[in-house]
Amino acid sequence: MKSAKDNVELISIPMVVDVPYRFAAGKYMTRFLTELRDNGKFYGIRCPLCNRVQLPPRIVCAVCHVKNSDWIELGNEGTLVGFTIMYLPLTDPTTGKPHEPPFAYGSVRLDGSDSVIDHFLNVEPVVEHIRIGMRMKVALKEREDRVGDLGDILHFDPVT
Amino acid sequence: MRKNVAIIGGGQTHHAARRHDVNQVELVNEAVRAALADAQMTIDEIDSVLFGNMEFFEGCHMTDCWLVDGSGAYGKPGLKITTGGTVGATIVGAGVHHVASGLFNKALCVGFEKQEEGDTGAILSGVAHPLFGRSLAGAAVGYFAMMATSYMAAWGAKEEHSAMVAVKARQNARKNEYAHLKLDISIQDALNSRMLSYPIRMLDMCPASNGACAMILADEKTARDRCAKPVWIRAMDTAHNEQFELDWRDVTTKKPIFSRVSASRLYRKLGVDDPSKYFDVFEIYEPATWAEMVWYEDLALCRPGDGFKLVENNMTAIDGPIPVNPSGGVLSTNCIGASAMLRIWEAALQIRGDAGGHQVVSKDIRRALATAYGGTNWTVLTALSGTMDD
Amino acid sequence: MNPEHDYGTFESDQRIVAHSRYFAGLMGSYFFVRLRDEQKIVGARCEKCNKVFWPPRSTCGRCFSVLSLENLTEIGPLGTLETFTIVKYREPVHPRKAPFVYGIIKLDGADTSMVHFVDGVDFQKLAPGMRLRPVFANKRNGNILDIDHFEPLDSY
Ligand SMILES: [Zn+2]
Ligand SMILES: [Zn+2]
Repeated sequence: MKSAKDNVELISIPMVVDVPYRFAAGKYMTRFLTELRDNGKFYGIRCPLCNRVQLPPRIVCAVCHVKNSDWIELGNEGTLVGFTIMYLPLTDPTTGKPHEPPFAYGSVRLDGSDSVIDHFLNVEPVVEHIRIGMRMKVALKEREDRVGDLGDILHFDPVT
Repeated sequence: MRKNVAIIGGGQTHHAARRHDVNQVELVNEAVRAALADAQMTIDEIDSVLFGNMEFFEGCHMTDCWLVDGSGAYGKPGLKITTGGTVGATIVGAGVHHVASGLFNKALCVGFEKQEEGDTGAILSGVAHPLFGRSLAGAAVGYFAMMATSYMAAWGAKEEHSAMVAVKARQNARKNEYAHLKLDISIQDALNSRMLSYPIRMLDMCPASNGACAMILADEKTARDRCAKPVWIRAMDTAHNEQFELDWRDVTTKKPIFSRVSASRLYRKLGVDDPSKYFDVFEIYEPATWAEMVWYEDLALCRPGDGFKLVENNMTAIDGPIPVNPSGGVLSTNCIGASAMLRIWEAALQIRGDAGGHQVVSKDIRRALATAYGGTNWTVLTALSGTMDD
Repeated sequence: MNPEHDYGTFESDQRIVAHSRYFAGLMGSYFFVRLRDEQKIVGARCEKCNKVFWPPRSTCGRCFSVLSLENLTEIGPLGTLETFTIVKYREPVHPRKAPFVYGIIKLDGADTSMVHFVDGVDFQKLAPGMRLRPVFANKRNGNILDIDHFEPLDSY
């Protein structure tokens, strides 16, 4: 015989965890972000052993485990090494605002750097308009809108 | 390994998108009881419990503490481990090291995820650097999509190849009673599924699953005394990538990235010449179809650029010469904290001949390789064999 | 770039907001439904250990016995204060404005205790051993705040 216990309503409880934090950029990232924000310049850092120019700059070359100290100014042009056209409405977790899909998103290696930067591509979100190897140029936000974050880059424009 | 360590039992849940009938403790307990039953062991015989999942994916910290009744860890020594997608394999690695050191003779390893409970998007954004990428953090799908466009441009693979991997995984999953996505799909179905992030479609990605896996590791004496079919851990290797560098998605990179480094070290330890012949079956960690084809190349199952040809020629089918993911893999079941352990457990089941409907029968399974990787950009590889002579 | 330039420090204030939904499972659901609908509190008895656990659970952590709905047993509603703290500072995460009292309360018939608010009590008179009774919320939603708080038995 079935008792009331056989048909228990299954309970679930919604919860929200809201965590404020203050992040300290550290010496190397501070210098990088300050130059980006104030002067619109990109600096990489070169390892004295393997000569890789790493972006963003960091204190230690992970491969060689030596201290990086050679600051290199990079150009604002580079090459597309990977891309996607995003059809999902992704939310900027730091503002809660969505990026409206579809949009093109790609990975660009700035000239003189061994690292890549992932960012929005200012191209029509159609596969035929995007090609790996195409030349791209950084478009920065206006000085007064820059805060010292990778988001100070507006997007990459194709070099025509 | 100084001392030999074997898997003497294991178990898993029936993985599913919804498990409203159980809480996290109860979910974990299903796998733990299955593992104890498989090993014909009681919880009192377990010396230590190693436990893990994705950090905060269920909105709970200190899951080792909250889930102690279900895991069986009450009053026992143990650790919680959380290393992103690799966590299930890292737990096993910790268990292996504890047993190999002689500290414990029987270690219970438990991994789980109850993905329906949490906010994976928000928590994953916390993996990105607060000032260099967090404001742009996308879903994991975006990372794999960029790897895919790089792969297509470099080697000439087509969306059809991704669809072939998608179909292989879900058709294998239909043979696996525990798998989540048991889909009777065709290549056309995969190609027609909703585009998420070009070129990755819905059926090219893993699901979000609820599930748990548990395994019992033992020293050689216990294994020989207590277990009819011990599966030996022959080698494990872990490698980390460096922070910020996304070069693992650039398939043409000449840099020795983490998965290749790890594979070559593991092969050297075991004296592997041709891994496609040395290992009889592979259980690899492929949250997206394209990751599977890249794994083929990183594991040197073929030359760089030939990964998509393996799937095109059915080489990695369940009845092919190099069976990969007869279980249906991560593409069919992704309860993240358990996923990497499931690769090892499924590989062990193949060696025992206990995989049931998805047992590889076209050849004798003596050796297997399981892989794991995660968003923290590291790899864990585990090589298993049925006897210490193999 | 002037290498001598002092870049100072760079700090950024951000936050992460994560939503989740906790599933109580069968034993937990039964507890919350009885609490919400009948204002009854249940625990789970392990026969082997002869212990009654709150909250009710599916496995006895001590002996690993399987506990089922058959093991559920009514506990309380009266209980005894085991220990307490008077919270005097304010934190955004606190559910109430300070000052307030958190008590560890062992309900009659239970072997484990619960944390809850103790209201309507002179702070000077708080002491372990004090007898308490639950005051249920008028509007109950199936969570632990269906017990609004505990209060001393003696004042009634
Ligand atoms: Zn270097
Ligand atoms: Zn008990």
